[in-house]
This record gives sequence, C-alpha cells and structure tokens, in this order.
Amino acid sequence: MKWFLMLLALPAFLFPLASLVYILSHAWDSLSWSLIFGAEESSSMIEAGQGLWPQIIGSLWLMLWACILSLPVAISLALFHALYASRRQQRGLMMILQLLQGIPPIVYGLCGLIVLVHLLHWGISLAAGGVILAVIVLPLLTSNMIHALERIPMEQTESAKALGLSPVQIIGRVWLPLVWSGVLTGILLAMARALSETAPILFTATVFSGVDWPDSMLSPVTSLQTHIFYLAQEGSDAHAVGVAWASAAILLMLILCFSLLALVLRRLEEKV
Amino acid sequence: MMVRRLCKKWVIYPFIKHKVRHFLNPLKIFVALGCVSAVLSVLVLLGFLIQSSLPFWQAFGIQVLWGDAWYPYESLFGFLPAIVGTVWALLIAMIIALPCGLAAAIVSSEMMSETWRNLVRVGMEILAGIPSVVYGLIGLWLLLPFLQHSLDLLTGHNLLAAGMILSLMILPTIMVMSQDALQAISEEQRESAMNLGVDWQQRLFRVLLPQAWPGIRSGILLALGRALGETMAVMLVVGSMDRLPEPFYNILEPAQTLTSRIGREMGEASFGSLHFSALMGCGLILAVMAMGLSLLAQHRSLIR
Repeated sequence: MKWFLMLLALPAFLFPLASLVYILSHAWDSLSWSLIFGAEESSSMIEAGQGLWPQIIGSLWLMLWACILSLPVAISLALFHALYASRRQQRGLMMILQLLQGIPPIVYGLCGLIVLVHLLHWGISLAAGGVILAVIVLPLLTSNMIHALERIPMEQTESAKALGLSPVQIIGRVWLPLVWSGVLTGILLAMARALSETAPILFTATVFSGVDWPDSMLSPVTSLQTHIFYLAQEGSDAHAVGVAWASAAILLMLILCFSLLALVLRRLEEKV
Repeated sequence: MMVRRLCKKWVIYPFIKHKVRHFLNPLKIFVALGCVSAVLSVLVLLGFLIQSSLPFWQAFGIQVLWGDAWYPYESLFGFLPAIVGTVWALLIAMIIALPCGLAAAIVSSEMMSETWRNLVRVGMEILAGIPSVVYGLIGLWLLLPFLQHSLDLLTGHNLLAAGMILSLMILPTIMVMSQDALQAISEEQRESAMNLGVDWQQRLFRVLLPQAWPGIRSGILLALGRALGETMAVMLVVGSMDRLPEPFYNILEPAQTLTSRIGREMGEASFGSLHFSALMGCGLILAVMAMGLSLLAQHRSLIR
C-alpha cells in the first residue's frame, strides 16, 4: 500500500518540477541583457527587438495601482471586522469574501470591460486595468489582513483598553507592531497574484505593441503577461518563441521574488 | 406621531450633544468609506454584468443552455458545446489530479520528516503561484506536439490537453489543502490508533482519511472552482471549435470551454451587440457556477 501510494504521488512531485525546469532551461538560451533593454537591431516582423523593458514596467505599474487602490479598502474592511462587526456580521463578511474569491477573474474582466472601458469611456487604459486588478486582489488581501488581526492575543487588546487608550492608539501602538509582518505577507501575496492575472487585463488594459511608456492613466499599457500570450498566438517564428520563453522566465522571477519574500516573512513570524 | 418619533430617534438625535464628536471620528469615517466603496464597486460591477446580459436572455430565453449550435453571425447561440467542453475538461483534470494530489498529500504528511514536509509545502505554494499563461506555454509547445505524435492526431489541440494542463494547475491546491487537513488531526488520535494495534493501512483509511475528509472536500471544491475559471492556459490548448464532441466521449477533438469562448471572441464582439451580450451571458453562467462551488465548499467546512 505504501509503495502504491508513493508510486501514485510520484507524478505530483515530478511533473511540476519538470515543467519549472523546462521553462527555465528554455529561457536560459534566449535570455540576455539586450533582450530586456532592447539594444539589438530587430529583423523580425514582430516588434520584439525593442526589448522587454516596457512590458516589465507595464506589469509593475498595473500591480502597483492594484495594490494602492485595494490597500486602504482592505485595511478598512479588516478594521471593521476587528472593531465594529458583530459575530454575525463577521461571519457574513468572511462568507462574502470567499464567494468573491471564487468568482473567476475573467468575469471581473468582463464587468470592468462594460463599466470602466465602455460606460465610463476610459477606453483600454492603465486605470481600468488597475481598478479591475484591485477588485480581484481585494478579497485575498482583506482575508489575509483579517487573519493577521485575529492572531493578536485578546489580553493585549484588553489591557490596552484598560489603560484607557483610544482605538486609534490601540491600532497604532499595540496592533501595528504585532501584525506588520502578517500584513506585509498579505500585501506581497496580493502583489504576486496581481502580477499573475492575465485574462482580466487582456481586453481592458493592454495592447500588443506600439506603447513604450504609459503617458497618462487613460492610455493603454503593455504587460509581460499579455505579451507572452500574444507571442504564443504568433506561433512558429523561432525568435518569437524565444522571446516568449524569456518573458515567461522574467515574469516567473518577479512573482517568485514576491511570494518567496512572503514565505520567508511567514516563517519568521511563526518562529517568534 | 410615529414618523416624528422615528425622525427624532434616527435623524435628529445622532447629531446633537456628544454624539457629534462620536460620528466625526476619523477612524470611523475611514472605515465607513472603505466598506461603502468596497460594497459599491462589487455591486456595480456584478450588477452591470447582469444588466448587459439581459437583452440576450430576453431575446432567446433559457433554452439556449441546451442549444448545440454557436454561430454568432447567424444569431445562433447555443451554449451546450461550451458547457460540455467545460465539464469534460474539469472531469479530466479531476481524474488526473485527485488521486495524485491526495496520494502526494498522504505521502508528505505521513511518511516524510518535518524538514522534507516543509520543503514540499514551500515548493507547492510556489507552484500555485505560477501564472496560467506560463502553463499555457508549456501546454502549447511541449504537451501538444507530444500528444500529436504519440496519439497520431491531426492536431494536438483537444480537450485531453486542456484537462492535463488544468490538472497540473490544480494539483498544488488539492495537495496543500489535503495536507493541511491531515496535519490538523491531533497526535492523540494517531497514537490511540497505534495502541489499538491497527496497521498503517487501516489507520489511514479508518482514522485519518474520514477525519480529514471535510477539509479535503473543500479543497477539491476550491480546486474545481479554480479550474472552472482558468482562461489563458485552456484558451491556448483547447482549440476553440464550437461543436459538440462526436460521439460525446471523444475528447481528442478541438473543443471549446466557456472561458476560452469569452477570451477568443471578446475582441471581435462590438459593444452593445447581441453577440457581446451573449458573451456576458457566458460570464454570468461562469460566475453562478463558481459561486455555487464556493458556497458548497464553505457550507461543508462550516457545518462539518
């Protein structure tokens, strides 16, 4: 029985590892500084010669806006959960958060397409993408923060109240030192999530080429995620394939930066 | 009289005396603003999704759900091919990922040392973060040629490939959730099972798995929800052909899922047209299915 289980479990360990190695080994051949910063002369039909720098910046911009927009809302929801909500409201809030987390990202993308791009006339823009990604990461961010706040021992809050501290003082002086690592973990995970979402920004925020730098909030951007997708559609051109693998590797590394940092923080927190 | 009393209680009273200070508390204002904006944005987004798919439901009614032809330019909208494709892809993904993921969870939680278990866990959490486009690339340039050669097909784009890629993507979810559920069982349970003299296999099937089942079940449902909403990877490998599998168990032909249809055709549909509204209908069906799954997952884990 043990051997059977081990045999069954082998593909679960092996295949994901193999695919990771496969991506990295393919990317290794095509990754170079000139590819990122765009020093080389392009000879191919697609505009891959201008480097991946705009795509990287675009992805980071979208991620940044998503976090900036969703952070205050998530904080206020978490504070509502911790300070004012009754037991029943707390349970309801958690249920709604899980429900929202279950909705596929592409559905949020569709909603954003109607409301932001068409009804508000923002067009295909950085702002629309940022708002949609913010709504997508909001449930994740909020539930992480709520869990971080829940881990504060009751006695700390009680004794702070007994000392006559106001709620603002309790939050700033007692809770913040205790939960900052948990909150930071949540933010990092949300950033990783915002970086990896592709489908919702495909029609609302990004274009394939022709954009180096977003001039304003209402101009389209180009991002790594969608760039990979467009290149994959392009098909058989060897250069395009190489660029796609390289951008996949860059995207993976960016995401790994955030999620590994989050894991390290969580480990530290568990040890203390 | 009644009205006046209510007015006094709810409108006038809060704004007099010390209550004024109470309500102008910046913390409360911040919290209230955040909550209102969250509720409002979600309601507006989902409301407009329903509102803009409404013309389609009015024009064709509910029977499009089992119509089998989808030709948007001839105003034929049948959802059945995409729904069947989605169900097949989910089924294949589950058939592959469930035994493997569960076995991996059992192996890592019952047979491995603490260090190895943590290592596997970290690895799985990292894998869960890999974006779906990257999985799509693997599917497109590794899995499809492989399938095409080994099964001798015209094209590798088919439901089997989509299911296999999906299974790779939901494996970490299933495994992490099952491992958590197995780890949550107290040490006393294991020890008393050992004291009773039951062997490893009986302990696993009679003690550990029944207790971990609620957690495993919600993990499975979560994974199903994730696979249902996965777009990019499926879109790249499924082939996007709007027809029913012929016969219905033929998974080696190009097909279509709900998400891949939205992804493929959203760019062509003009805003306000019936086609656009039909795609919104697709989105609505997806949202309802996903919400059902996540409600089911919560329900089980709450009630136990």
